[in-house]
Amino acid sequence: MSQPRKSVFITLALVLMLAAVLSACSKSDTASPDTSASSGNSGSKENIKLRMTVWGSPEEVAPYKKAIQNFEAKHPSVKVELQHIAADYDTKLTTMVAGNDVPDIAMMESGTIAFPMAEQGKFYNLQEFLDTDADISPDTLVPNITYSLEPGNVIGIGPGPESFGLFYNEDIFKEAGVEPPPSNVADAWTWDEFVEVAKKLTVDMNGKTAADPDFDPAKIKQYGANISTWWGVYSNFIYSNGGDFISADGKTFGLNQPEAVEALQKISDLMNVHHVSPSPVQSKNIPATNVALQTKKVAMTVDGQWASAGLAQSKFNFNVGVMPVMKEPVTTVVCGMFSIFKSTKHPQETWELLKALLDPEASIDMLTAGTWMPSPKDWYTDPALLAKWTENLDARPSGYKEAIVDVILTKGHQTPTGYVKNFNNIMDLVNPALDKVWLGQQTAQEAMDSIAAKAQAQIKGRRDIKE
Amino acid sequence: MRKGMFYGLLFTAPAILGFAIFTLGPMIASLVLSLTDYNVFKEQTAFAGLDNYMRLFSGEDELFYKSLGITFYFVVLRVPAVILLSFGIALLLNLNVKGRAIFRTIIYLPSIVPAVASAMIWMWLLNPDLGLINSLLSRLHLPTSNWLYGEGSVIPSVVLTTLWGIGSTVIIFLAGLSGIPRQYYEAIEVDGGGWFRKLSHVTIPMVTPTIFFNTIMTIIGSFQVFNEAYILTQGGPNNQSLFYVFYLWRTGFRDAEMGYASALAWILFVIILFFTFIVFRTSKSWVYYEGGDRT
Repeated sequence: MSQPRKSVFITLALVLMLAAVLSACSKSDTASPDTSASSGNSGSKENIKLRMTVWGSPEEVAPYKKAIQNFEAKHPSVKVELQHIAADYDTKLTTMVAGNDVPDIAMMESGTIAFPMAEQGKFYNLQEFLDTDADISPDTLVPNITYSLEPGNVIGIGPGPESFGLFYNEDIFKEAGVEPPPSNVADAWTWDEFVEVAKKLTVDMNGKTAADPDFDPAKIKQYGANISTWWGVYSNFIYSNGGDFISADGKTFGLNQPEAVEALQKISDLMNVHHVSPSPVQSKNIPATNVALQTKKVAMTVDGQWASAGLAQSKFNFNVGVMPVMKEPVTTVVCGMFSIFKSTKHPQETWELLKALLDPEASIDMLTAGTWMPSPKDWYTDPALLAKWTENLDARPSGYKEAIVDVILTKGHQTPTGYVKNFNNIMDLVNPALDKVWLGQQTAQEAMDSIAAKAQAQIKGRRDIKE
Repeated sequence: MRKGMFYGLLFTAPAILGFAIFTLGPMIASLVLSLTDYNVFKEQTAFAGLDNYMRLFSGEDELFYKSLGITFYFVVLRVPAVILLSFGIALLLNLNVKGRAIFRTIIYLPSIVPAVASAMIWMWLLNPDLGLINSLLSRLHLPTSNWLYGEGSVIPSVVLTTLWGIGSTVIIFLAGLSGIPRQYYEAIEVDGGGWFRKLSHVTIPMVTPTIFFNTIMTIIGSFQVFNEAYILTQGGPNNQSLFYVFYLWRTGFRDAEMGYASALAWILFVIILFFTFIVFRTSKSWVYYEGGDRT
């Protein structure tokens, strides 16, 4: 009979379909965190396997491997499986979480899915470990590199803090006879001084500078400055001017307030009034910072300190100064973080692994290459340790210690992704509106006011204050 | 007969099972999920009824209508462009000229290039200041454009970049063209007709099934445009290239709102179904099948 066989296939197909549907729906049953196993099993003799996911270039993954080797040498019963997800990291991690295939520890980005996951209780509160650990506490780390869901609930620790500086080509300044940017924060340029210098260094095809009356802004050969329209860069100036993305009490949208508007407008004016910085359209022609400075397309550029690595490889006279100051000197501190998933069966071992990953000795190659900065504070304050990653290196020019190292320790400000709740949805409104500001079609006030009501509806508070 | 049925089922089982497990199953799952508030990271998933659909149609989600409008605009521009251009190219490639195989290869070649690679090339070509296309235009004293970076020009520019990959549509047209019996053309030659008569009285009627097929596939493909927004524009400038599937992806994978994204997906499914149905219905009056009346 053919009928029974046919029905077998159909039944099989239906069962599989049902299984697919059910497994998607019932994930809540199996994902319950195993809190009972949260302590006390570190001394067990059985072999423990930890899984870790990271993104990054091969050079960035190398130090993780080294850290894992160091860790495994100290903990022979533990094996770490490193899963390197080079592209679409967030999409893949989301899928893994949906499929209950969760790593023990993962590199996370504060601007994307880290907080949505944390809000659903996916991560360990690392405060518990920090409170009891003898080696590491918030005070031993560089400020602003821990991320908290709310005060007292740390969901991630950054392995490499990053701050911003004003990178420049020394030769351009020498040839133009212009004094380069100071590296000491006490001598930092005011915004107006910065604009004046940028004008002198912006040159058109006929050799006229932006300070000349017959300067042709349509044919610019060399830009005096490059301030990108990424929030990571412009946030420096919003903070410097006393503004914020959200009010101090976490209740009001901040970008339409006078301090923030003024900072945004001044950046837009660089492009559209003074013509000293490329607009978003023009900046599509501006290569990466190292090439832009080396080929003299740009004289100075605000970028993260990670730019030092590329600059060092380009072999030319570059240096770094402090960013111009609007009211107060400030740098935004940005970094990825390591988070421990609550579903891990071995939290204590995972914490030890996290500590090994924070150890600058493991990532010394990345530190000396210029891409990373260490996260323990004593690597900044202890002269011997500081010398290891800042002295006699191509990637660390003369201004580096003052302009980057000193500034991140004393003038750091947490990245808005770390404390503004619902940051992505707010920026979904802000970014399109800012497109018009960067193109000079609207003033910052008009653009921010036009979305203020909608943005206000997305304001959900701040993570750094108790409600 | 019994044995025949067994082997028939056995050999089709991989395809049927593959379809059931990897297409039908997930589709049913997404239909169910579209009725819930399923968020990947949430422990609890609650049945939400038609809430997701209500939220979409109530006008609360402006980006839904915006992305829908942008996608429609894209479809309206792209489908005629693809069909006309690929049909024209197929006609040329069907000519009996020397090196025909080489030309055919050249036309098909871009379809093999990975989407990301060709997108990167287009970003350079369309660069407003340094790009090859604007450089050529300004050298010829023609007006230039901001292309992908202008609010008005971004969708036409994306259409332009997708025309690069019409090789497979051309190949299907070529197959249709080569299936036309030579006698029909000879008959017209005997009657003294030129190339235009051949085109309008033989070629076009004979390839209407191919046009029909290509039109439907192009409509479906155009509604599902994603790579271009993901790589070229990220939805910008000012959300002017926020394609529907890109918005769906952002909702599902960045915001983890899978229930809501599933509802978005089903609405797109219904839209595509509707347009496919319309084309099918009208096809009765213009598609000609050989060996039969107009069906």
